[in-house]
Formats: sequence, structure tokens, C-alpha cells
Amino acid sequence: MNLESFNWKISAKAGEGVMSSAKLFAKACKRQGLAVFNYYEYPSLIKGGLQSGQVYTSLHAATCQHRHLDLLILFHENLLMDHLAEIDEKSLVIINANTFDKSKYPEVKAKVVAVSLSKIARDQGASPLAANIAALGLSACLLEMDLSVMSKVVVEEFAKNKEAAKQNLAVLKAAFKVTRQLLKEAVLEPLGVLVSSGVDEQLLLNGNEAIGLGALAAGLQFYSAYPMTPSTTLLHFLAAQQANYPIIVKHAEDEIAAINHALGASFAGVRAMTGSSGGGFALMVEALSFAGVSEIPLVVAEAVRQGPATGLPTWTSQGDLNFLLGAGHGDFLRVILTPGDMQEHFALTKLALELAEKYQLPVLIMSDRYILESNQTMPKIAIKQKNQRYNILNDAALGETGLKDGEYLRYKSNKNGISLRAIPGQTNAWQLSNSYEHDQYGFATEDAVVTKQAIDKRAAKLEALKQELPKPLYLGAKQPKKILISFGSTVNVLRDVLLNEAAKDTAVIHLPCVYPFPTLELEKLIEGKNAEIFVLEGDATGQLAALIRRETKLDDFHSILRYDGRPFYSEDIVEFLKNQKLDKQYRLI
Amino acid sequence: MTAITADKLITSIQPTWCPGCGAFSTLTALKQALIGLGLLRMEELTIIFGIGCSGNTADFIKCCGLHALHGRSIANAIGVKLANHQQKVLVIGGDGDLYGEGFNHLVAACRGNHDITVLVLNNHRYSLTTGQVSPTSNQGTIGKSTPTGSIEIPIGALGTAIVNGAGFVARAFAGKTEQLSELIKKGMLYEGFSLIDIQQPCQSFNKEQDYSWYQENTFDLGEDYDPTNQSQALISLLDQTKLSLGVLYRNDQRPAYHRQLPQLNKQALVEQFPKEIDLSQAIKEFI
Repeated sequence: MNLESFNWKISAKAGEGVMSSAKLFAKACKRQGLAVFNYYEYPSLIKGGLQSGQVYTSLHAATCQHRHLDLLILFHENLLMDHLAEIDEKSLVIINANTFDKSKYPEVKAKVVAVSLSKIARDQGASPLAANIAALGLSACLLEMDLSVMSKVVVEEFAKNKEAAKQNLAVLKAAFKVTRQLLKEAVLEPLGVLVSSGVDEQLLLNGNEAIGLGALAAGLQFYSAYPMTPSTTLLHFLAAQQANYPIIVKHAEDEIAAINHALGASFAGVRAMTGSSGGGFALMVEALSFAGVSEIPLVVAEAVRQGPATGLPTWTSQGDLNFLLGAGHGDFLRVILTPGDMQEHFALTKLALELAEKYQLPVLIMSDRYILESNQTMPKIAIKQKNQRYNILNDAALGETGLKDGEYLRYKSNKNGISLRAIPGQTNAWQLSNSYEHDQYGFATEDAVVTKQAIDKRAAKLEALKQELPKPLYLGAKQPKKILISFGSTVNVLRDVLLNEAAKDTAVIHLPCVYPFPTLELEKLIEGKNAEIFVLEGDATGQLAALIRRETKLDDFHSILRYDGRPFYSEDIVEFLKNQKLDKQYRLI
Repeated sequence: MTAITADKLITSIQPTWCPGCGAFSTLTALKQALIGLGLLRMEELTIIFGIGCSGNTADFIKCCGLHALHGRSIANAIGVKLANHQQKVLVIGGDGDLYGEGFNHLVAACRGNHDITVLVLNNHRYSLTTGQVSPTSNQGTIGKSTPTGSIEIPIGALGTAIVNGAGFVARAFAGKTEQLSELIKKGMLYEGFSLIDIQQPCQSFNKEQDYSWYQENTFDLGEDYDPTNQSQALISLLDQTKLSLGVLYRNDQRPAYHRQLPQLNKQALVEQFPKEIDLSQAIKEFI
């Protein structure tokens, strides 16, 4: 039997290597030319607590995680009941143990087989921790995957340690062999053949890495941050790029320093960015306001996790929307981009850096733990990327400017609100970039007329800026009975929903930018459609719904909210479309 | 390139400091130092200003400047230096700004030995907000926020800087402009983190520490003082009967932060903008 899609999960205690196991399985599927979505759940601990990695792979589309598991590999029997809702009589569960007594679990309908993955590892002279690699050998055999593909993935993973590579490869092969024997003995039954498209042209990466790649593509040269889940992997990715690209990554003493370093670097003429999660971003907002008034370009990537305060550090949320809309004291213009899939994380980060420089303002990228730490396949991007400078004197070249002393005004009034920015090292371009309200040179002022002119000048950028923002994306039925509106990562789940028969009369509108709000565009998409509208978001109070009510004529709609740290599930939305029944972990208002 | 001359540094704005404020002398000494350095051009200087009476210097000296937030100017300065290490980067702030609100950044800058020069205009008061106690006020100082006297002892900022890796630490008195000017020059020529604590009278809110108080309570470090001796420097700072003036500590062995970044071996970061970029290396792990 050919399998065109498969849902795989491995679950253990934190520290037992399931994250890397799932990543390697995902990579092997990608190498077979399949689409992959690789989702993790883990506690905010280094050791202990339930940790799982799952891989949904498909010959067609794999845009999100799925609940129903085809294969579940458990490192400990006592984790079985945690996964009860994900398994049924069609699922196979492998427990890393010598024996398993099914009679203790009458609720479990799935076939459960004990296979000691730790023993396989030990028999090869490896640590029992290599059970995570044995799990891959077992999976490859059960799914008739090409063992050489899986072997290559494992060897690459341990490229820095030849001895470890050799040992893990031996474990992988031994597990494959043991599984074949178990199939022969009919202890296990084959699951089918996981098909291969034969064309491996995609990239497999997480949202933070897609942001990092987009930033590099845009000529980012300075990133400073303080570690905070779930933005940390962006810091890691960019830090590693310093060896190959003209970029400096600074792990700052705190988030306040991080954003102020970035502002200093940007002031001095390089494209700069910082990133954090809600709590760290909260520390940055005074400087965000500084960026606004001083017109220093800045990009901030806000990786939302469930708050308030320390909240649920490793779980997802979209509950920082209101915070981002209002972050920073005083009135100033900002952009908030809300990318959905990996391609959009890449493309909108590139756009963010360009817009920040062109319009000399802060651009926020709001994404969330769910997509930032999930791996997803995306089409290969252009390897060679081009960049140009915007609205900087002499295109940021140092030295002679051709200006006479006294000629240059940093904040010269201009119809479109944009003044040419000088940078340190340019001749006769003395300036004062100022956190105080200031005149055209940059000197502090409290003059009423000058103050109003300065505020109006900065606000004037809005008109041109609006033309460059990404427009709402319309997917699904042309004449829908239901329209689902979402922003950020939720579109990944809704794309999957649209693949279902139950969604044939459903449309999805994804908002990749929520500020400045695409008022006319959204109204136009909905105009003339006789559909019930639902706004889906990952917060408790309907923040996006409130924004839509504030910015558009739309008023007659419901909200579907999820705020328990978990992402939306395609199955739950499909069930809602079919039977108007919503799982109790959601709230319908 | 433009030579730094007295007329180049002038702005159209008259200083708004109180008559007799120590900041006037400090500004004079700073300008003398900048002109006297000789090597430096207008294009090679960036000044980051804090918020307070000291930070208001921003309006009174023409340069490439950034008038930053209260407490954060050092963090900005590090960003400027890393983006363009060919710039001489100077920070001007006060005791409340740099030893209070932003002390964490000062310690971090010392630890990194970032090549910036920080001038702390230290008048022992929050003067722009009408004279509350600052981190350097004496214990028992009565102010509007401490009507019965402050309970805290003054911060040991210079000792902290020395212990945490600052390469050049000096103390000056605004009333001795020549010495101050020389110390600013030395600090700016030093490659690494330099901190110059400038004792400044505040005629309006610090009546106790006026010019005559400073004349009686300061002394110049003698020929026999060895600024390269770290423990001696720390011991001398523990003696607070009188304030020593001069270079308290200097370490010429430790390279500056930017010297340890291979990315900056050939060119300033700002000169390496990637007009074309090849992502092959970056996507390696995603294939």
C-alpha cells in the first residue's frame, strides 16, 4: 500500500533527544521530496517533563500538524495515556520497553508493541540515549523508506564528531534490521510504503530561521538580542552566520541594551534588527518610541509566547497584538507585519528591513512560538539576492558628499515626510538625531509651530507607505457561505482546513499586515458576499476582532478564540464547519 | 575632510545651564581637547548624549550627534562603534544617567572593553528635575525626594569600572580645565573603554560641593602613582577623605572589543553593505 501522507510522533521526557529525532525524520521525508510540517511540544525545562516532536508529511501539502497519529513512538510506557486523544485502532504505538501488558489499558484501541530501542542502542555500544536514532531506523523500515537517505541525514547531523556519526549510523542500521526481523515474525505489520516524489527541491526550516534568512537576504548587518524563548533560535541562526557574512551579532546584557545597540548601529548606517518575546519586548518599548521620533530605521521581531508575564514560556499565543499596536509612548508611525508560512517569514522580513530604511521608522514582525519553532518545507529561494540603499545621503558611502557646511538638514521638511538621512563619516552632514522633539536640523525644540510641523512631517509618510504593504490574501470558495479571517501563523492551519470537503463553501482571508490596517482591501474582499464571518485568533479577548471593528465597517461577525498555549488544529475547525460544534478548549463569541 | 576648529564646533544655540554651572568649563575643556587632538577630523567624531543637564550639551556643540534616551547612550554608542569602528565615539551624560538609570550598560561596556570614551558630568544631583539625590550624593543628603536625608551610600562607580575591565579610568574636576582637557584627550586616544568622571559643581542644587569645596577636597595624583597597578588603584579609591584627580587606572594589554571581531579586520561594517548576497552558506542546513 502506498502512503501519500503520514503522521508520525515521538514522545519522551525532556533531554532524551526527541527534538533532534523528529527533525531528522522530517529531513529524511523532505529528502524524499515530500512536504513536511514538524511541530514540537516541550516544557520550559532542560530535563524531565513531557516532550514530543511530530512530523506530518505528505506528497501534496503539509502546512500544519495533525492530531490523529499513524505512528507514535513512546520512550516510556507511562506517557501512553497523555496521547490517548491522538490514537485510535488505526494507529500503531511503539513503546521503548521489553514488554507491554495491554490489559492494563482497556481505553487504548491502538495496536501497541514493545520494542526496546534502548537495547538496540546499547547492543551497538552506544548510550541508551541513542534510542532516538533507533526510532528512526525502526520508522524507516516500517515505512519502507530508503535507508541510505536516512543514513545520510544521520551522518550529517553528527558531522562534527566522526566517532558519534559512526556509532549512530550503526544504531540506525541495527534498528532497521531488528524491525525487519519483527516484521518477519509478524510481531509488527508493515505500515505501507511512504512514497517519494523523487524531486527534493525544498528547504526545511523553522520560522525563526526563515526570518533570519530573509534578514540576511535584505543585507542585515547588525542583530542584537538577549535570549528568550521562542525568539532565541533567531539569535542562534544569525550568530552562526557571522563566519560567512558581513554581520555582527551581539548578545546584549539585557533587552534595553539590545534595542539601543541596534539603534546605534542603524544610526551609523547599517541595517539593524533586534528580537525578543513579549516580556523582553516590554523592556524595549521606550527605545521603540525613540526610533519613532528620531526616525532611525529599526526592525524588531517579536516572537509571541503565552503571557501575561512569564506565562507559558514554551507555548504559543497571539495575545501580544494589542501590545504591539500600542507599544511606545506618544504618537508615532509603525508597521506591524504578521507573516504566516515560511515563505512569508522570509519575504516579509526582507520587506521589513527595506521599509524601515526607506521610511525611517520602526517595523515590527509579529510571529508566534507555534510557527517560529516548527519546521516547514518551503520552495527554494533565489540564492543570489540584490539590495540597494534607500534615502541615505550618498547611498551610505562615507567621505565627500558634495554638500557645503550648513546645507544639510537631517529632518528637512518634505511633502512625503521622508528626509535624506546622513550617517557618521560623511562630510558636511552634521546632524543631531534626537529623542527630543526637534527642528529640521535636529536641535531640541518646545516651539508649538515647529512641534506640529515635525509631527505632521513624520505622519505624512503613511500615504506612500500604505502602497507598499502586503495585501490580505484570499483563499478558497469564490462565493463562500463562511469566511474565516486570521492573521499570522493561523493561515497554515486554515490552508489545511480548505483541503477538506467540509470546507468547500468556505473562504479564508489571511492578513500578513495588521498595521497600518488594510481597511479598503479587507472591505472589498468581503463586499457582496453573503457569508457568515468568523475571526480566528490565539488570544482570550478578541484583539484582532476589535482591531477589525475599529478599522473597518465590518461589525457582524463572530470570534473563535484559543488561548491555552496550543495552536489551532485543522480537525477542530473542520468539525466546526461540519457540525457547528467547537471543542471545549476554544471559545466562540 | 574637515579639520576640527573652534568655529566648526559652534552651534546657534546658547547654553541653557545656570550661571556658574560646571558644565560650561567641561564644554570648554572638551572643545579644547577635540581641537588639540589634531589628528581627528569632524567626520571622524560621533557624540552620543544622554538626558539631563549634561546631555543638553547636544545643542551646544556641532558634530554628528545622537541625543539618546536617559541611561541608554552607552548602549547606543556600542552599536555605533561596531557599525563603524573608524569613528571616535564619545558619550556625554550625567551621574544619574550613567551611574543610575544606565549603570548596567556601563558595566557591560567595561567588560567588553568597547572603544568608546564616556564623560560623566558628575554633580551629585539630578539637577534637570530640580535637585533630587543621585547615585553619587553623600549619605544623608536632603532633597525633595529624601526629606529626611538619603539612606544609601554613594555608588563606587570607578572601582566597579576598574574591577569589570575598563581599560582607562580617570577623574577630573571641571574647575581645572587644562587637566580635564588633557584627560579627555588621553581617554580618546586610548583604544578601549575609557571612563572620565568629571566632578562638577551645581550652583543651584548642590550648595555643599561648590568650587571652594572642590579646591579643598581634591588632589592631583603624584608622579609616584602607578596607574597600571590595578589593586593600588582600587585601594586608593577606598580612601574617600579627598578625591584624587588624574588617570586612576590604565591597562594597555587588553584589546578593544572590535579588534576581536574578524568581520572588521579589513573594513568598517558600514562599508561592507552586501549589494549582492549569496545565500548558499546560510541555507546549507535547510537542504
